[in-house]
Amino acid sequence: MSNATLYSVSYAISHDILFAIGSAVGGSWGRSIEASGLVTGLAVLIFAAIVLAATMINTIVLIWYERKLLGRFMDRRGAMHVGYAGLLQNFADGFKLFRKHTVRPRAADQVGFFFGPTAYVVTSLIIFGILPISSGWSSGALPLTLLLALAVFSFAPLFIFISAWSSNNKYSLMGGLRSAAQMIAYEVPLLLAVVSVVIVAGSFDLSTIVYEQQNYWFWGPLVVALVVFVAAMLAEMERIPFDLPEAEAELVEGWNTEYGGMLFAFFMLADYLRALVGSILVVLLFLGGWTLPSWVPAGATSFPLAGIFWFMVKTYIVFGLFVWVRASLPRVRTDQLLRIGWNRMIPLALLSVFLAAALVSVRHCLPVFGCLPSPGG
Amino acid sequence: MQPDDVRRVLAPKLAERLLGVEPFAGTLGKVRFDRSAALETFRAMRDDLGFAHLSMVGGIDWVDHREVLYVLWSDAAKQYVLLSTDVPANDARVETASAVWPSANWHEREAWELVDITFDHHPDLRHLLTPDGYVFHPLLRSFKLHEPEDLEVKVRHV
Amino acid sequence: MSEMWINMGPQHPMTHGLWNLRVQIDGELVLAVDPEMGYLHRGIEKISEDRHYNEVITLMDRTCYVAGLAWEHLYLLAAEGALHVTPPERALYLRVLCEEFQRIGSHIMWYAAFVQDIGLMTPFLYGMRDRDLILDLFQSYTGARLTYEYMRVGGVRNDLPTGFTDHARKVLDWLIPRFKEYDQLCLGSTIFRKRCDGLGVLKGPEAIAHGVTGPMLRAAGVRRDLRKDRPYAVYDRLDFDMALADTADVTGRYLVRMEEMRQSVRILRQVLDWLDHHPGPVVAERLPRWLGAPYAPVGAEGYLLKRNYPKGVGFAAIEEPHGEALSYVVNEGGEHPYRVKFRSPVFANLSAASTYLVGYRVADIPPIMGSVDVCVGEVDR
Repeated sequence: MSNATLYSVSYAISHDILFAIGSAVGGSWGRSIEASGLVTGLAVLIFAAIVLAATMINTIVLIWYERKLLGRFMDRRGAMHVGYAGLLQNFADGFKLFRKHTVRPRAADQVGFFFGPTAYVVTSLIIFGILPISSGWSSGALPLTLLLALAVFSFAPLFIFISAWSSNNKYSLMGGLRSAAQMIAYEVPLLLAVVSVVIVAGSFDLSTIVYEQQNYWFWGPLVVALVVFVAAMLAEMERIPFDLPEAEAELVEGWNTEYGGMLFAFFMLADYLRALVGSILVVLLFLGGWTLPSWVPAGATSFPLAGIFWFMVKTYIVFGLFVWVRASLPRVRTDQLLRIGWNRMIPLALLSVFLAAALVSVRHCLPVFGCLPSPGG
Repeated sequence: MQPDDVRRVLAPKLAERLLGVEPFAGTLGKVRFDRSAALETFRAMRDDLGFAHLSMVGGIDWVDHREVLYVLWSDAAKQYVLLSTDVPANDARVETASAVWPSANWHEREAWELVDITFDHHPDLRHLLTPDGYVFHPLLRSFKLHEPEDLEVKVRHV
Repeated sequence: MSEMWINMGPQHPMTHGLWNLRVQIDGELVLAVDPEMGYLHRGIEKISEDRHYNEVITLMDRTCYVAGLAWEHLYLLAAEGALHVTPPERALYLRVLCEEFQRIGSHIMWYAAFVQDIGLMTPFLYGMRDRDLILDLFQSYTGARLTYEYMRVGGVRNDLPTGFTDHARKVLDWLIPRFKEYDQLCLGSTIFRKRCDGLGVLKGPEAIAHGVTGPMLRAAGVRRDLRKDRPYAVYDRLDFDMALADTADVTGRYLVRMEEMRQSVRILRQVLDWLDHHPGPVVAERLPRWLGAPYAPVGAEGYLLKRNYPKGVGFAAIEEPHGEALSYVVNEGGEHPYRVKFRSPVFANLSAASTYLVGYRVADIPPIMGSVDVCVGEVDR
């Protein structure tokens, strides 16, 4: 299975299904069912279904992990009752939200009210089709996956703004503006930190970036970029210490105050999807993705799905760091937050770009970095 | 500070409107004054005797008259002093103390709405604890807890 | 955006109690403030006029439910003055024990709610965990965790169980390093300092003019603590320091309350030592039976008849956890008090809201109101 990719597995399944149906039906109908376009189409659907299922399960486990870890930081156990150690708690919460009546304000903009959260969730899910989790689990033919993933990630402020405006509530509008301002302010240092990684790796393709980290992970030389990226990611994910827009819901000024039921569930889900995306990006860009250092014994990397396993371990460790930050720090006020973003993070991010450029220029002179084939190959 | 000090400062200003400085356990005493001398008494207590802190303004309903009680504290003397004035039940008005001590503001609002004592020249005499438009003054002895209120009269719309 | 009045409350997770904070804002700036109270007005003073002296005690627990024993103490100091009753010495020490543990419990509750509003979720639960130890102590000798009804006219209801003082000392030993932990989580956090320093400034003279008392006043540097200036119960025999700060802002109030907790631990150690070595009665001997039949203290010799009982007026002031609280009890010779009047510290602290809230941002309101330590039950009574 070592050469199998997710797409090739989906294609194989689709091929088997359609050819089985085709041979069962027989005749000209059967041959038309076995057409390559149909096989490809079904393969793409199966690929999407597998990615969606895996993402949703991963997100639900992530939420469980956060609740339990946060509880342990607070000297309590977290959810314990539903399922063993509370594993089914989130299914119960999701089911409850699913059953809830979605209150639709009469004066709200009907299209925008439903479009905002839906698009928010959809764009967060799309990213998972782009991100590679191991050498096999990747989108294969897509070039510039990093650029594409970050571009889709940046849609969020737009949909938050649409949701806030459609609520027809001036406090929600103000809250939505604040939230969007926070996200846009932190996009710049985020992207600059990513630029540092791209400079060192020489490619916008995530698989290539992981490949370039086979001798050394980028978290060492690019530690400044890592710090900037993590802080900017926390602001993008609207987690503590940057979650004043979420706390504004207490002041009835949050952008999701008018939402209830499944639409509210969409917001919560999208929050955690984005948290997962953030953790995955940290692992891909700085922690060597699914590879382990060369001094690790071969037995650790040779069992089936080893790449995915180690990737998930690293992702959950990174997310654990985010939970730790959430448990320990107070909230930053919005104006202080924006000041940090524009006045402190951007210079730091620019510094990391210069350091990355310096690293590239001296890399081949230093023996520890080894001799790498030219990127893009 | 002794009760005599208080009497010595207030007597020239109030003359016969100072009705007495009685001993009161645990405090400097209870100064009883006529309500027409309210503002002068307040100013004298704050400026000449150093009682910069007004702790409480309370109303007590004695059926034929009502008593307005003021409790002051002096940081220098580390003592309380009580001021008391009587207002007749049919004309329950007294000058506000909020010009002298801003802390009187809310206390007088409460005394008005509960014991029906009107404070002249109060900047903002409206309901504090009872609902807006509530017509009863609950802490009067005539307001009986065990009789139902007349529901038609209950809340006048404001 | 033009100026508008918004309501923060009466249902609001930040306000910790049922009241409405109306603020007039212009964008993010607070222009004017109008607190709207009365949602929790239960007519405690009026109800007391229909109850026996001992039956009023149940109302006092509910006046400020976070510091119930302190309010019981307040009422009883005045009621005993009005009824000409003197409690025995051991009862006085037990009352100080109650009040100081109540002070620590109230300040931990304040701390938990305050940091929760700023965004720190973890210290909230640490505070709740530690406060539970104190509530367990209360339960062991009063029988309840929130509404104690432990004190009576003439003393307290019962003595401490055996082994209580040792257990209490263990709790105090546990609490001292916890206070250090609280400080590390808050004062050690740059974000906390940036959100709280210089906020909600209320200087001394202005505070005194507005009747502000308690930690808010001491944070402005004014040396006033009723336990030192006008000692009641046995505070004149106990050794402790006044907690002061000089910044008059939110951080100053935080420091004052943390220091008050440490001083309370100091007081409690002295009280526990005294209680270990001085057994004795916990209730006065000659008490009127008509104080409240179902609640008459155990062992009361009720031979004093109502018609012979002298009239009186009682006045008391205590340093309640929120500040200076007063009570005035008028005894006109009947079974029920003629009038009880209470002064709540939070009443005055809140009335001064326009001095320390105007000119700041809307996002600053949670830390500032948290530092005021609002307990609506005692404001509204």
